[in-house]
Amino acid sequence: MPLFAKARSFLRNLLFTGRAEEDLDQEVRSHLQMLIDENLRAGLGREEAERAARLELGGTEQVKEQVREKRLGTGLHSVSSDCRFGLRQLRKNPGFTLTVGLTLALSVGANTAIFSLVNALLLKSLPYPHPERMGTIYTRIAGSAASDKRHNVNGEQWELLRDNVPALTSAVSSVGTTGVNLKGGSHVGYVHDGRISAHYLEVLGLQPILGRNFSADEDRAHGPKAAILSYSLWRNVFGADPGIVGQPILLRSEPYTVVGVLPQDATTPLNADLYTPLQASREGEGRGTNFSCIIRLRHAATWEEADAQINRTWLSRAGRYELADNPSAKVSYHSVPLKKGQTDSLRPQVLALMVAAGFILLIACANLAGLTLVRMMRRTREVATRLALGASGWQIQRQFWIENLLLALIGGAFSVGVGFVALRELFLLLPEHFLPVTSVPLDSRVMLFTLVISVLTSVLFGMLPALATRRVDLRSSMAHRTVAGVGSLRLRHGLIAGEVALTVMLLVGSGLLIRSLIHLETLPPGFNRNGVMVEKASLDDVRYHDPAAFRKLLDESTAAMRQIPGVENAAVGLNLPYEFTGNDWITLSDGKEAGHQGGVDWVYVTPGYFDTLEMPLLAGRVFTDADGPNSQHVIVVNQSFARKFYGGTNPVGRYVDKDTLIVGEVADVPLSSGLDPVAPLQTEETMYVPAAQVGGPLLALLHVWLQPNWIVRTADRAEGLTVEMQRALEKADPDLPASGFYTMADLLARTLTMQRMEVALLGAMAALALLLSAVGIFALVANMVAERTREIGIRMALGSSVSQVIFEIGRSGVAASLCGVLLGLLLSAGALRVMRSVLYGVGVYDVSNSLFVVITLFAVTLLATLLPTLRIARIDPARTLREE
Amino acid sequence: MDYDSYRFSIGESRLSEEPTTLLQGTLDLLILKSLATGERHGLGISRRIQQITGGTFLVKPGSLFPALHRMEEEGWTSSFWGDSENNRRAKYYRLTKAGRKQLEAESKRWGRISWAIAQALEAS
Repeated sequence: MPLFAKARSFLRNLLFTGRAEEDLDQEVRSHLQMLIDENLRAGLGREEAERAARLELGGTEQVKEQVREKRLGTGLHSVSSDCRFGLRQLRKNPGFTLTVGLTLALSVGANTAIFSLVNALLLKSLPYPHPERMGTIYTRIAGSAASDKRHNVNGEQWELLRDNVPALTSAVSSVGTTGVNLKGGSHVGYVHDGRISAHYLEVLGLQPILGRNFSADEDRAHGPKAAILSYSLWRNVFGADPGIVGQPILLRSEPYTVVGVLPQDATTPLNADLYTPLQASREGEGRGTNFSCIIRLRHAATWEEADAQINRTWLSRAGRYELADNPSAKVSYHSVPLKKGQTDSLRPQVLALMVAAGFILLIACANLAGLTLVRMMRRTREVATRLALGASGWQIQRQFWIENLLLALIGGAFSVGVGFVALRELFLLLPEHFLPVTSVPLDSRVMLFTLVISVLTSVLFGMLPALATRRVDLRSSMAHRTVAGVGSLRLRHGLIAGEVALTVMLLVGSGLLIRSLIHLETLPPGFNRNGVMVEKASLDDVRYHDPAAFRKLLDESTAAMRQIPGVENAAVGLNLPYEFTGNDWITLSDGKEAGHQGGVDWVYVTPGYFDTLEMPLLAGRVFTDADGPNSQHVIVVNQSFARKFYGGTNPVGRYVDKDTLIVGEVADVPLSSGLDPVAPLQTEETMYVPAAQVGGPLLALLHVWLQPNWIVRTADRAEGLTVEMQRALEKADPDLPASGFYTMADLLARTLTMQRMEVALLGAMAALALLLSAVGIFALVANMVAERTREIGIRMALGSSVSQVIFEIGRSGVAASLCGVLLGLLLSAGALRVMRSVLYGVGVYDVSNSLFVVITLFAVTLLATLLPTLRIARIDPARTLREE
Repeated sequence: MDYDSYRFSIGESRLSEEPTTLLQGTLDLLILKSLATGERHGLGISRRIQQITGGTFLVKPGSLFPALHRMEEEGWTSSFWGDSENNRRAKYYRLTKAGRKQLEAESKRWGRISWAIAQALEAS
């Protein structure tokens, strides 16, 4: 019964608040009435009776409030009424609400976007069964050039790992996918082939929906040619043919038998269109470290056992390339989780972005704290009134906190939208397969993060004002119109200085990245990059293992391209400037340098290559059609080559690798080094070889990794040029589809993707920080103008000029901002040293960069200060004084 | 109206924090006891307590009404609107079954406490 009564009252209090209130009101009033009656009966006069009754009652509203506080469900009820009141307040101040809402949406949105990257790259587990049992192997080198990272492995390592480490199921794959041509029926297409060993799909825990995985026999060198199709290729090219298994498809102009089809949602680290056996051995590709390895811990085995077995077998190798440069190095191997292995290289960048996003959030908090502080000050009278009506301090505080929370939740909701749009834009910037994950979802963890961040933000920006206004003096607040506390002003200046300091750090950081990018993009090209169109096609094709067929293709296709109207020249080269370039090891054969050895970048080219790119010839000659397979082997080298091997003297006429004659020297071009990368783009010793003098086995190997480029130079880029180029290529080989068309600017952008990403992301955040700081300074000054309107009126009445007053008011905003600039410069001097490894052509302490940041902030500060002070000119002293 | 100086004022917790818990229980018991003899409105309860305690306790509305509402929510009392002796509409309270039980229990408890206190004071 009592429980039932409780539930009933709870519901009544919650649902029929109006009736309960009316009831209470009547009860208290009738009580007062009866007290008066009593006093009248006792013989008091009417007035005296009423006064005494009221005295005994002690205030109708207070009594009612005391009853309300004791009511069941009162907490819930008052929170909901606080929320309603809060929403009304927010609606009443649309300017404030909009500013706060936008600030939150942008700042939390930036955090949502970046965190979803962190989540996808670093937190989410891999989409495979038992990801904790999957791994890869790191090589730890102790000593002077210490390192601990994932190395690719060579054929010997692979065979030892496969045969001598029973604790693991191991597999290897090609490092990236290979572009190959697929002919299925009438369809000729360019597809990405992932070359994988047997057990690769078992390590990933993938089972084909049709057919089977590769057998050990198919993975043997020169074993049967088999293929496993991805679901999308099976559906799009083969019409989801259920009888596909066992059928041959024409790949690299050779028949491959389809043995399986992968499930629809299957992803692999390679994300290829189809998979073929790697057939790795110690020969050919296996001589170098060209395989990427993944491992899965077998049932009942431990990682310690696996590591011990790996070390035992790999340390027993006779020739260990890890010791080639550094014979005394102490090398060991250990397994790490596959997730870590795949994302380690991106981790510093992603975490740096997260820190930058955190800065944005702090800046936003500082702004919002300043804004809410001012708003609280303006509401001092409201607070005093509520205190007088019997509200407790806690109730007042709760009201403010609820308003802040409402703001944070509204902003947080919008920020999800902002984060979604930001991520989509980010993905438009990225080339395919740039990230080692297939998607960056806004999943429940991201949502939870956004919620937590929003609430945390509201606590952060609500805390300062709440503390500052805890001691509202009732009587003085009622008497004065506003409370412009000196303490609160100092607090607001501090907030501005803090946020400007963070903005300076972000601006300096992104400025350095921009300078690096500009440096890389404007490296002296060493060729004319305008007017060049590039067509790439895969020659990983059994027909072109024959050098004669290869030469015929190059001759016919370049001849056909020269016939295109508007084309001045055409050529083929294995690599172009800005691209990742293959390399080789050479020995000098004559003079005092005889016997010297060194690595050089290696490019085969047709005779027209240097003319088409307009690369300046510095000495000797370029290739001609006379440099054929049976004539003297010749090479052209670049300036760096001459400098490194011949001390800058003329290399023409010298011999390398016994009988190869250097016939010319050309200018350096920037390229992406595979030899000794110190920057994303650099110039490096390079040798150019006539395409006609490259042997069959080398061609076969090179074309597995690299796709040659057909280049044409046009005076002015003709419409339909790419169609004409493809037609010309098809004239020489109708079964050769293009894998893509590029300008030199495209190739440059492709190589600098990471740098452009960094600039885009950090630059966007720095711009956001600058905007937020400007808004913060603007709000500070605008509020000072509003608060001191009366004082300004008096000053002007006493003879101050408008400009004097503007200076007086604006001064503090500028001062706060300048303090922030100084603090920011100091902080960035310390903190940005970590950026050294991603800067090229610019130092961490770059004066012009810092100067630019200071000037930018100064200009923004002046603008943000001046705009609100312009209102001072419109202040009419007479009216301001009358208003009181 | 003036009050003699020895009178206690119940529930002025803002002035005297210490005896709150004791007085809380006291107030409930006194209200229950005052309703034992029949239904009363708020002022009636207040005056009845004044009367049965020989004027020692004066219950102010600021303490009385929250207590009344709380006790109703506990299910010890129920309320209805009626006419007062002077034909004013007033809210009347009466004990429920649970209220009577509560009164019994509270009385026993208080009996024990007061006996114990008396014993303690008599001891030398």
